[in-house]
Amino acid sequence: MATNPDPELALDDAHPAAADGLQRRSLLQLALTGGALATLSPMALAQAGAPKRGGTLTIGADADPIGLDPVTLTAFSSYDFTALLYSGLLRWNAEMKIEPDLATGYLTPNETTYIFRLRQGVKFHNGQTFSAEDVKHTFDRILDPASASPSAVLFAGIKAVTVIDAHTVKFELKAPSATFLSYMATNPNGVIVPKGVTDLKTKPVGTGPFVFESYEPNQQFTLKANPNYYEEKQPYLGTVVFKFFKDQASITSALRSKAIDMTWFKDPKVSAQIVKTSPDLVSAPGKTSRTFPVWMNLKAKPFNDVRVRRALSLATDRKACLQTVLGGSGKVGAMVPESQVGGYDGVSPMPYYKTDVAAAKKLLAEAGYASGIDIGDYIVVAANALDVQCAQVLQQQWAAAGIKVNIKPMETAPLIALWLKGEYTLMSIALSWSPDPDAIVSRLLSTGTQGKGIGMADAQLDKMIEDARSILDNAKRAAAYQQIQKHIADQAYILQIYQYPLRWEAWWKYVKGYVALAANIRTFVRTTWIDK
Amino acid sequence: MARVVLVRLAWMLPILLGVSVVAFVLMRALPGDFAQASAGTTELTPDALETIRRSLGLDRPVWEQYLHWLGRILRGDFGDSFVTHKPVLGELLPRLAVTAQLTLMAGLLAMLMGATSGLLSARLRGRTDWVVRGLNGLMLAVPNFVVATLIVLLAGLYFPEIGIFNYTPFLTDPLANLGSLLLPAISLALAVSVTISENTRAAVLEVSSQDFVMVARAKGLHRRTILLQYLVRNALTPVITVTGLQLASLLGGSILIETIFTIPGMGQYLFDSISNRDYPVIQAIVLVAATIVLLMNVLVDIAYARVDARVSYD
Repeated sequence: MATNPDPELALDDAHPAAADGLQRRSLLQLALTGGALATLSPMALAQAGAPKRGGTLTIGADADPIGLDPVTLTAFSSYDFTALLYSGLLRWNAEMKIEPDLATGYLTPNETTYIFRLRQGVKFHNGQTFSAEDVKHTFDRILDPASASPSAVLFAGIKAVTVIDAHTVKFELKAPSATFLSYMATNPNGVIVPKGVTDLKTKPVGTGPFVFESYEPNQQFTLKANPNYYEEKQPYLGTVVFKFFKDQASITSALRSKAIDMTWFKDPKVSAQIVKTSPDLVSAPGKTSRTFPVWMNLKAKPFNDVRVRRALSLATDRKACLQTVLGGSGKVGAMVPESQVGGYDGVSPMPYYKTDVAAAKKLLAEAGYASGIDIGDYIVVAANALDVQCAQVLQQQWAAAGIKVNIKPMETAPLIALWLKGEYTLMSIALSWSPDPDAIVSRLLSTGTQGKGIGMADAQLDKMIEDARSILDNAKRAAAYQQIQKHIADQAYILQIYQYPLRWEAWWKYVKGYVALAANIRTFVRTTWIDK
Repeated sequence: MARVVLVRLAWMLPILLGVSVVAFVLMRALPGDFAQASAGTTELTPDALETIRRSLGLDRPVWEQYLHWLGRILRGDFGDSFVTHKPVLGELLPRLAVTAQLTLMAGLLAMLMGATSGLLSARLRGRTDWVVRGLNGLMLAVPNFVVATLIVLLAGLYFPEIGIFNYTPFLTDPLANLGSLLLPAISLALAVSVTISENTRAAVLEVSSQDFVMVARAKGLHRRTILLQYLVRNALTPVITVTGLQLASLLGGSILIETIFTIPGMGQYLFDSISNRDYPVIQAIVLVAATIVLLMNVLVDIAYARVDARVSYD
């Protein structure tokens, strides 16, 4: 296969991978500006005057990182730090579209080959020059079973990574994949680590806008601006400090007293109230990224009967839950949240979404439960107050249709163990943003561990999910995920109640140029500056 | 006396051994381990989970893990934290110092508040008694983490300038350090001071109705002498017991107080380690806390003998 020396200019607009308007535009922009990225989003530009340099941004974080090696880390709490320390070939822009980062562009000679042209003159924090060898090293590490990398599943479709020259690298996939670029753009899954550097867990070395300075567990995590960062003039901040608050009241108080400049909240009502009382605070809920589902065990009675599942769906008043628990700050949910390809908009009709207690009772009677049914334990995450509140509302709604449940709040770690193994009758655990809708719906594949655990056996759905993976056209793909969600709602395999942002970000008005992403990854600290 | 103390100290060893077994087995009996807890809802393949467990030695039989751990402890090595990959002991000791300081401050405050209010309540009776007992009832009913949360929220809202989250290490600035620990110590001390106050009150009331007090009064001794030489000294025994035993509740209370006030002590360390299932850290903290409580009990016994002439270990 011939390689093109100048992939950026050779991009074929008719090719599906480049068909996405914004993506194409950003690539064209690259070609026009000769490699300098136009990074400020419209939103950031709107707030911005001329950025001031220097200063410290103090962020209130609700959890300590667990490891800082992007290849092996599994905890969401580490993402805050990897987002500033590392960068990948691609990244998400403010509109959650993919744009080049360490790559300057890519070429897709066929549906299973991606050739990335790399940015030149980039240095890692330790001074090492970034090259194609590092890209290959990163993906070799991810795919090596000995690394136990959580990203290995996401990149399982990679057949080979080949270094063509120091600034060109070729990825060959086993099959056409619509998810590949999404995962590549996601921090920390697709970020590049330097070859020959070990112990990244405690001494992170990346190409990101900020350099690791110090970390005192439970106290603070300090980063300094990377003087060699490749984006012109960025980052503006001199220092970024994360302070840790494990208690939501403490984090609220710290923001109010300006002990921190920026943070995020788990409870939308708390966030709304704080912003209401302090007009100088900016609140950016971002798009909905998290759904609250009710999982049922389909292996055994009573949920092996579709009539019981549909009855449960009909007995549910999703809007009431949304109003009561989130104060209306969210939308009715389906399997895929709105911020993703094919995400549910919260208003289109879905099968069995209308609240109809009489119909629910009728279905229950047909299933042999004319006098009502006692489901037993309904397991919820004790640490998440929103989940527990919603479960209580649901308990009352279901009781009206003669469905009795006993709410059992549980600690998170054991609950997840039960969830992944499918050892429960009824359970709620929220699903958070993932780089691609496939990661969410494939939990219901009858061939997967989780699907097997709860007794999924729907060949039609399996095929729908597998087919959707390889549709490269975004519009067609979105339609496919709409169909999958309708099918799931029709069979009521899972009840999705509402969708909402995972975290409500909030900051004081003197913090400029920041953009909250639906992914809740703070990559836009690189364009942030302080105007006090 | 020395012999008795030595015997008591020797008894600590089998107790601590028992504690170590319980701490070790109990954490592993809970569902969900570090590999699972740290991943959260991130999907890991069973193989990946197994690799993580193997790298931490969690795949071996529990008794084997226990003996390995015990062997290392006897050599003064508490193992490495799963989260930070650093030796537990090095991370624990500075935190222990912080918690010790906080507990000590809270203990002193509690004794001061409790003994004073109890004594006043018993001696003055009447309205003072009602007020003290009413306040005691209220403070006993409100858990210390509620008090702490209220302090944190109100301070953030009305007094942002005090900077309640600016914990300063003692060696950096002793005065700022005391200042930053004052509010946490007060919220920690409140509930304990109630217990001390009630016990002091009861003890003083009981002692004042004793014959020897009446005799002292009949002898025409000065009120002050009666109070200090007869009443307080005799009423002190139960108060010391209670204060010593309340240390355990101060240590327990520090878990939440440190978390709310973001003080880098042992309590906050434990809170994090439990949610992450960081076994080596949890085990080390349980052992250290058990040792402190046991030592405190021995100290209380010694203090008895010093205060109460009726108690002698010879």
